[in-house]
Amino acid sequence: MTGASMTGASMTGASMTGASMTGASMTGADTTSDGMTGPPAGSPLSRFAWHCRNNPKRELWFAWYATVIFYIIFFVVFFPVTKAEPPPHPWWSDAQVAAWFQQNHHGLLIGFGIIFAVAGMTAPQNALIAYSMRRMSVSRAFAYSYLVMYSLSAVPGLLLLCVVLSVGAMQTGLDPAATHWLFDFAFLSYIGTMGVFLVGSLVWMLAILLDKNRVMPKWFGYLNLCNALTEVVVAPAWIFHTGVLAWNGLISWWVNMVVFGIYTGAFITLLRNLIRREDFGDGPLPDLPSKAAGGNTPHGNTPHGNTPHGNTGAASLAGTAP
Amino acid sequence: MTEIARAEQPETAGQPAAVGQPPAGESKPARVVPGQPDMWVLVLFEALAFTAYLGVYLYHRAADNASFLQSQAQLSPWLGTIDTLLLLTSSLFMLRCVQASRAGQVRAAMVNVVVTGLLGVAFLGCKVTEWVRLARAGHGFTSNEFFTYYFFLTGIHFLHLLIGFVTIGVLVYQLRRRERRSQEIVETCAVYWHTVDLLWVLIFSLLYVVR
Amino acid sequence: MGTEPEAAIGTEPKRRALLVWLLLSAITLGYLALDWSVDGHGAYRASTVVTTVAIVAALVKVRFIFREFMRVRNAPVLLCRLTDLWVLLIGAALLGSYFAGMAVH
Repeated sequence: MTGASMTGASMTGASMTGASMTGASMTGADTTSDGMTGPPAGSPLSRFAWHCRNNPKRELWFAWYATVIFYIIFFVVFFPVTKAEPPPHPWWSDAQVAAWFQQNHHGLLIGFGIIFAVAGMTAPQNALIAYSMRRMSVSRAFAYSYLVMYSLSAVPGLLLLCVVLSVGAMQTGLDPAATHWLFDFAFLSYIGTMGVFLVGSLVWMLAILLDKNRVMPKWFGYLNLCNALTEVVVAPAWIFHTGVLAWNGLISWWVNMVVFGIYTGAFITLLRNLIRREDFGDGPLPDLPSKAAGGNTPHGNTPHGNTPHGNTGAASLAGTAP
Repeated sequence: MTEIARAEQPETAGQPAAVGQPPAGESKPARVVPGQPDMWVLVLFEALAFTAYLGVYLYHRAADNASFLQSQAQLSPWLGTIDTLLLLTSSLFMLRCVQASRAGQVRAAMVNVVVTGLLGVAFLGCKVTEWVRLARAGHGFTSNEFFTYYFFLTGIHFLHLLIGFVTIGVLVYQLRRRERRSQEIVETCAVYWHTVDLLWVLIFSLLYVVR
Repeated sequence: MGTEPEAAIGTEPKRRALLVWLLLSAITLGYLALDWSVDGHGAYRASTVVTTVAIVAALVKVRFIFREFMRVRNAPVLLCRLTDLWVLLIGAALLGSYFAGMAVH
């Protein structure tokens, strides 16, 4: 709405200025090519405050930073603090499970306490991804269905494990068999329900492949397919107690994590690029400023480019299109 | 053999042809990426993923080779060979489809892609036959380690093949459009189909052939 | 640009495709011979040679599929090099896993 009254050029100018502050550590650029005024010179804090008040993309940046910060917290809590990841062994006996709860008692309670406090940060992430789909030329149904699916999937996909393991940690006097039950319930619900993310991935994939606004590169659409397929690979965790297809197995967990890590890194980067490119219009998104200037994009940003026409998508590999 | 000559020359010259441009003084077709470059990301990524799965299989096979050999003997090398030949032939027809489509011969392209699809269906039938045969003999997903790998690998490949049918559908849709047909999408779908073939070649050699 | 016809699609590319298919099929059938050379009656025997040959042959087939069926041969050099690298990577990973497994166990 604010964009409607401004010309495309000045919007791009504002976004570039905005990006140069909030994205300063990433873009390294600080251009105001159309003369749009940026934040007045001053301390980083005052410039930050200026952006909070004036940057038209502040909500988008807020959502993006919430995403990044949440993943950092998630990683720290799940890996070193609670030691819920890499997952402990499914084949453990009751006694071994009870010992694990005892050893990780404080880590589990503190760690998941933090997760409960910040779990709301997953909402801006889902919103930003849904926003990317709203910006596309495809039906709004894609964005809304993704939003609903991923909001609900946070329950088995994150919260159940946190609740159940916290209960297991708090209930120190429980019968070992009951503790083992909680243990199995937690990990099976967390790892075995990867499928709830599967359909969401396919929705995003379809939206990207059908999109004419070049919001996301097509290769990321295909990466969504890879992600969805690895979620299928996790399903055998319900069947196998040991081996490579168990919930902590080489294939079901480790290879899966590599794929998921690459996928997450990719979409965080691409969402950042989306915000930088956003012109609040309805048509195709412009390229990143450095790319539009004809310079080299840093490797890893958009390896195959967001070029306007399908055929010239080959341009980055094929050189100049005739 | 002009086609070979013109492809060989830029490489053996020791320097890449100015990418996208024919060498000066010759009117050779420009070097183009087959299909969308983006699809190649998927191809290479999936190739690595399958390599990871196959590597894990090979590593664990060495731990218990005797039992793996015994289980492997339950597979039918003939059916496996037929599977491979079916997919290789389907790839041949897919290539012919792309060649015809490039030349503007839509009807020929359509025939070729239909044959591709039928050969794919034949592969499916063959695979299901094998699975049923094994199941009837008492070998299932959880029977032993070898069969876990076998059903997992062939199962995930089967899934890729099903997606291949979707891409054939997209390809047929593109062929049927008169205006705004995208040759790039036709070739993109073809690249995916060949990937399904490629993955099977690897799986076949490691499940059926290695000792 | 991508739809410029290759004059009337001559017999040359078709013949080439067929030759490649014949070669790949021959290698596939060759696998049967490879296995027969080591297997006893009904019982399979372990063989590092067979395994290595099988993997290398698969890599050869994969490279042909890349270059001929997927037309990487006519692709920009970057893609040629990338797919060649991939064949090497896959080979290294598979052979590496096999020999590492043999060494450890």
